[in-house]
Amino acid sequence: MTEHPGGPASSPRILIVEDEPALRRFLVPTLVGQGYQVLTAATATEGLALARSHNPDLVLLDLGLPDLDGMEVLRQLRAWSRRPIVILSARNQERDKVRALDQGADDYLAKPFGAAELLARLRVALRRTLQTEAGETVVASGGLRVDLGRRVVTLDERPIHLTALEYRLLEALVRRNGRVATHAQLLADVWGPGGAGNTHYLRIYMAMLRRKLEADPTRPRHFITEPNVGYRLDLDGPG
Amino acid sequence: MDAPARPILVALGSEARALRLIQAAFRMARERNAPWLAVHIATASGQGTEDEEQVQVWLQEAQRLGAETRIVRAPTLAQGLADLTRSTQAQALLLGRSRNRWPWARLGHSTADELQRRGLDASLEVLDDPPDAAWEEAPGTPFNATVGAFLVLAACTGLAWLVPREGNLSLVLPVYLLGVAFIAHRWGQGLGVLASALSVLLYNFLLETPRFSQAAGHWPNLLFFLAMLLAAQLVMGLLRRLRLQAREVQRRELHMASLYLLGRALARSRTPEEIAGAASEHIGRTFRAKAWLLFPEAEGWRALPTPVEDRDLPPPVELGPSLAVGEREGDPLEPLPQGGAFYLSLTGTDRSEGVLRILPSTDGGLPPRTWELLKAFAVQIALALERLRWLEEARRAQVDRETERLRNTLLGAIGHDLRTPLAAIHGAAGTLLLPGELQESTRRDLLAMIQDESERLAHLLGNLLDLTRLESGVLQAQKEWQPLEEVVGATLGRLDRRDGAVPIQVDLPADLPLVPLDAALMEQVLINLLTNAQRHAPGQAAELRAWSEPGRLCLEVADRGVGVPEAFRERIFDKFFRLPGAGEGGVGLGLAICRAIIQAHGGEIHAEARPGGGTTFRIDLPLPGEPPALPEGAP
Repeated sequence: MTEHPGGPASSPRILIVEDEPALRRFLVPTLVGQGYQVLTAATATEGLALARSHNPDLVLLDLGLPDLDGMEVLRQLRAWSRRPIVILSARNQERDKVRALDQGADDYLAKPFGAAELLARLRVALRRTLQTEAGETVVASGGLRVDLGRRVVTLDERPIHLTALEYRLLEALVRRNGRVATHAQLLADVWGPGGAGNTHYLRIYMAMLRRKLEADPTRPRHFITEPNVGYRLDLDGPG
Repeated sequence: MDAPARPILVALGSEARALRLIQAAFRMARERNAPWLAVHIATASGQGTEDEEQVQVWLQEAQRLGAETRIVRAPTLAQGLADLTRSTQAQALLLGRSRNRWPWARLGHSTADELQRRGLDASLEVLDDPPDAAWEEAPGTPFNATVGAFLVLAACTGLAWLVPREGNLSLVLPVYLLGVAFIAHRWGQGLGVLASALSVLLYNFLLETPRFSQAAGHWPNLLFFLAMLLAAQLVMGLLRRLRLQAREVQRRELHMASLYLLGRALARSRTPEEIAGAASEHIGRTFRAKAWLLFPEAEGWRALPTPVEDRDLPPPVELGPSLAVGEREGDPLEPLPQGGAFYLSLTGTDRSEGVLRILPSTDGGLPPRTWELLKAFAVQIALALERLRWLEEARRAQVDRETERLRNTLLGAIGHDLRTPLAAIHGAAGTLLLPGELQESTRRDLLAMIQDESERLAHLLGNLLDLTRLESGVLQAQKEWQPLEEVVGATLGRLDRRDGAVPIQVDLPADLPLVPLDAALMEQVLINLLTNAQRHAPGQAAELRAWSEPGRLCLEVADRGVGVPEAFRERIFDKFFRLPGAGEGGVGLGLAICRAIIQAHGGEIHAEARPGGGTTFRIDLPLPGEPPALPEGAP
């Protein structure tokens, strides 16, 4: 293991579990440069030990590790920690991504990814721990404003009427606070346990939300599709 | 020759000669370029004696060779054939004729003769059986035979009674000789010998005493009868041989026919299951037995065409060696009886292809005289299995060659296309690491180049990986019903994030139906097509539009580039194909991936010339059946 103190002791501590030295070489200075404290582990065993001893604020976990399946590491971490976990996955591993997300990972980054994307995801994931889940009741981005306390949605100051299901879907996305939500998670949130398998319902309601809340539904700014994985509500993005 | 349109008629029964008739009719029809019709006349008298199942087999065989087939009911064969010849205006009629067992029946009007008499306007072709093929062993029971023999002898005695009696045997002898020969021929050698002895006694008691009393002790008389006995024996021996030969000929013809049918069924089989099905069907019909093909597995056997309980089968370690060539005494192909069933090794040219298991339906098991044919069946089945194995090996070799070729092309293409961005990245990084100050603008340029080139590398590798995985079947389309809008949105989102994005005009009707898609794969298609469009028509907006037609969803990506010459519009979808004179960028994989993905969706993609210049890529995706029900309250 290696410790890379970045900022003051109060700054968030990030554990990187990644076996590729090249990737660690890129990740460490990037994160340290942003003021994070960084710990690195090259194997799952080492990563799990570090997670227990140092209790990091966030874990960046590679799914392809030499000694243990990343999915197993995720399961063991989730057994005792509710801290955010962001998965690093190779391209075209949609199924693994979805499984990891459904098993409690907060988000994922598909390799290759850029520094900007990485930092944005980390900020979103850390925000979850910094705020209580239901803490913020008003979110706004661009012209879109969602007030969960008063159940009011406005676009460019105009109130938008949503059906009950549309509102529940929007609420489920807002509560995830920019993190990706898998199809299965959204179906369970909106339709309850009976919704499983009806992914096309979800897609239709998402299309309806976009038509009501996006300036151009074919170029969504807020309701971002993660193909074959799920959706994320992007309230930091441009516009 | 008659008018070519008039058909050729062939009459089939259930006998094995039907195969020769079918082949003759087929040849004739081909020579005369005429249609042909195979018929079976079902007569009241023929009922029960004809093997209906066998008739069906022959009719099917004729049908396979291009004949129309028909079964006609008629009072007599001649009547039915005559009517049919008239109604179909046949130019020729083929039928078989067996030599009748009863000589006088041969003198009477046979079907052929009767047809001749009816004056048909068709040429009559009669195929005779091979000599003596129709001789059959008499089916009479011993009791009937004995009675018959007595009657014949009585008739002979009666005839001899009429002969003028001058103590001359020369006229009496031939009468008895004929009678004995007939008995021997008709009812077998045993009765023949008995009849010879009996005729001596008859002669002595009925004819000689009291009428030829002096002759009783005469040596010549006795000698004559001894001679008769001998002659009868000779005749009987001769007859027996002839009969055996005839039966052999008939049996051979049957064997040939059944082997031929099996061979044909096997030749059409493309899987071990089909081979097992054909083998089981033909063995069942020929030997009245159930049959399975057994293939050794890790433990036990895999039985085809139907599974067999393992406890009904001997363990492979027991059966394998005892069937293996060279380890058994005598003929290695001889059936090995075990537990009520028979096992035959299916030995091909170089190794065992499996084991044939036969379960006779009768308790007596398989009579050894059928072994020869069974062995011939086994050889055919083994060769069919072997052919299948070789085909599979050849196919695999072909795939290997193709892979090898692809690998070489790949190495060639990659060698260049991977090295170029790598060289740029390597060079830029080296420059950045040089001691000394770089101008800020230069430094940023180099870094931007590193980013661009590595993106190009990632794109190239992604394409390569996808194509390989699509072609090997590792990557399969996970289709889910979804709005096209969503995939388009994700694509545009990704393209907008890239630098130098060019405006894309999108035209999607709001009422597009859901379509089953793999979103990630379809995004890849759209990205490839749109980046292509941007590359070939820089600075000009690419257009993306979609609409639905009955049963399909259509999608077009159009650009205003220089267009694709017609000769290359299909070839651009080939791997590593690049248009002559195409500039930098791309290895010729993008469109190959598009096609592979669209095909994985059961759709089609084509390039068309766009009116007014440029190229249109048109995608048709199938909309199979109804989209799933929409939730309540949906538009």
